[in-house]
Amino acid sequence: MIIGVSVFLLALVKKSEDLKRGGLAVLFVIALLSLPTYMTGYSAQKSVKGLPGVSQAVIDLHQRSALFALIFMEATGVVAWYGLWHSRRRTSSGPRNTAVVLLLSALTIGLMASASNVGGEIRHPEILDNPQAAVATEGILAPRWLASDFITKYQYRHPWAWKTLETIHFMGLCLLFGVVLVGNMRLLGWMQNAPLEGFHRLLPWGVWGFVANAVTGMMFFIGQAFQYIENPAFHWKILCILLAGGDVLYLTWHDEVWEMGPGDRAPAMVKVLAASQVFLWIGVIYFGRMLPYLGDAF
Amino acid sequence: MAILQWIQNLPFSASIAESESLWWGYAWWLFIHAVGMGLTAGLGFIICLRLLGVGQQIPVSSFRILFRVFWIGFYINLLSGTILFMTDATGIARVWELYAKLFCLALALVAMSRLRRFIDGDDSDGAVPPSVRKTAVACIVLWLAVITSGRLIAYAVEANGSVVSVANPIHADAL
Repeated sequence: MIIGVSVFLLALVKKSEDLKRGGLAVLFVIALLSLPTYMTGYSAQKSVKGLPGVSQAVIDLHQRSALFALIFMEATGVVAWYGLWHSRRRTSSGPRNTAVVLLLSALTIGLMASASNVGGEIRHPEILDNPQAAVATEGILAPRWLASDFITKYQYRHPWAWKTLETIHFMGLCLLFGVVLVGNMRLLGWMQNAPLEGFHRLLPWGVWGFVANAVTGMMFFIGQAFQYIENPAFHWKILCILLAGGDVLYLTWHDEVWEMGPGDRAPAMVKVLAASQVFLWIGVIYFGRMLPYLGDAF
Repeated sequence: MAILQWIQNLPFSASIAESESLWWGYAWWLFIHAVGMGLTAGLGFIICLRLLGVGQQIPVSSFRILFRVFWIGFYINLLSGTILFMTDATGIARVWELYAKLFCLALALVAMSRLRRFIDGDDSDGAVPPSVRKTAVACIVLWLAVITSGRLIAYAVEANGSVVSVANPIHADAL
C-alpha cells in the first residue's frame, strides 16, 4: 500500500504518466489481495481463540477496525481502477481522480495502522494494561455495526437479508459476465468491425457488477465465515477471482490492446488471456455454485 | 397432481435428484443453469445498455452475433431448467414464484425479439429510436425480475420442505 502510494506520489513529482499508471495498478492489485487477506483473519482467529492471555474483546476490535480499513482500501482500488481506465480515454487520469486516490490512500493507511496496532495486542497483552479500556476508546475507528457478530445476528433475525443479498449477487454475476463475455469475444475475433474503444466504455459496468458481488459476497463471508474458511470450493473460487483480476489488469494496462481499431486483430498473447478470462469467470460461477456441495456452505 | 408425481418419479428425475456426482447430479445442473443465466440475462443487459447509449463506438449491427449466443444460453437453460424442475416437480409447481418467473421470462423474450428486429434491420447503425430505447429499459427490468423470481423459487420450495436441498435460507430459529 505504502509502495503503491509512493510510486504514485513520485509520479506526481516527476510528472510521469507511466509511473502514475504504475502506482494506480499497484493500488488496484493490493485492493484485490486485501480481500483474501482480510478473510485469513478468521482462520487466525480460530487458531488463537481460547489461548491463555488472548482477549476476545481485542480480537473483535481488531476485526472491526480491519473491516473498516478494508472498506477504504477497496474504495481506493475502485478509484485507482477508474484512474487507469480514464487514462485510456485521455492522456491523463485527471486531477480529481488523483486527489481522491491520495485522500482514500491516506485514510486507508491510517486505518490499517490502527487495525494492525490492535492486532499486535492480541498475542501481546503485556503491551496493554487494560484491554477493556482500549476497546472503549476505539469506537470511531472500529464501528460496532461492522462486528461479525452483529452482521451474523442481523442475518439470522431477518431471513430476507440473505435472500436479498443472494439476488443482488446473481444480478451482479449477470452484469459482470455479460461485460466479460462481450469484451473478450471482441478480443478473440468476433465483432471485428467494432473498435475496441466502444467495449472499453462497457468496462465500468462490469466493474460495478464486480463491486456489487464483492460487497454482497463479503457480507455472506463475514456473517458466516466458518462455513467458508475451510471450504475447498471457496478457496478455488477466490483463486479464480484473483487470476481473472490479473487478466483484467493486463488487458487495461497494455497499449497493444487499446490501439485496436475496427478490423484489427488481437495479438496471440491477448487472445490467450481473453480466453482464459472467460474460462476463469465460468470457474468462479462453478465454485460459487459448488460451495454447498464441495463444502458445506448454504 | 398425478402427472407431476409421475415426472418426479421417473428414473431419470430420481437419478439426478439422488446423484451425489458433481458432474451429473443436481449440483451440476444448478451450475449449468447459472452459466445459462449469464449468457441470457448477461448478454440481454449488454445489448440493452448499448441501445441506451453505452459504448456508442460499437456499431449496433455488430451485436447481431450476440443473439446467437443468447439463444444458445436460452436453450441451455430450457434444458437445465426442465431437468431441475423434474427432480422436484410436485414441490416446484406449488410455488407462485415459478409462474411469476415464466411470465416475466415470456415478456423478456418478447422484448428481446423486438430489439432484435431493430438490430437486424438496415437502419440499426443510425440513431436509436425512442421506442427501441423504451423497450431496452423494459427489457432490463424484466431480466432483473426473472433473476429475482428465479432466486426466490429456491427459497419458496425449501420453505415448503423439498426433496433435494436447493438452498438454505437462514431461519430465525437457528440462532
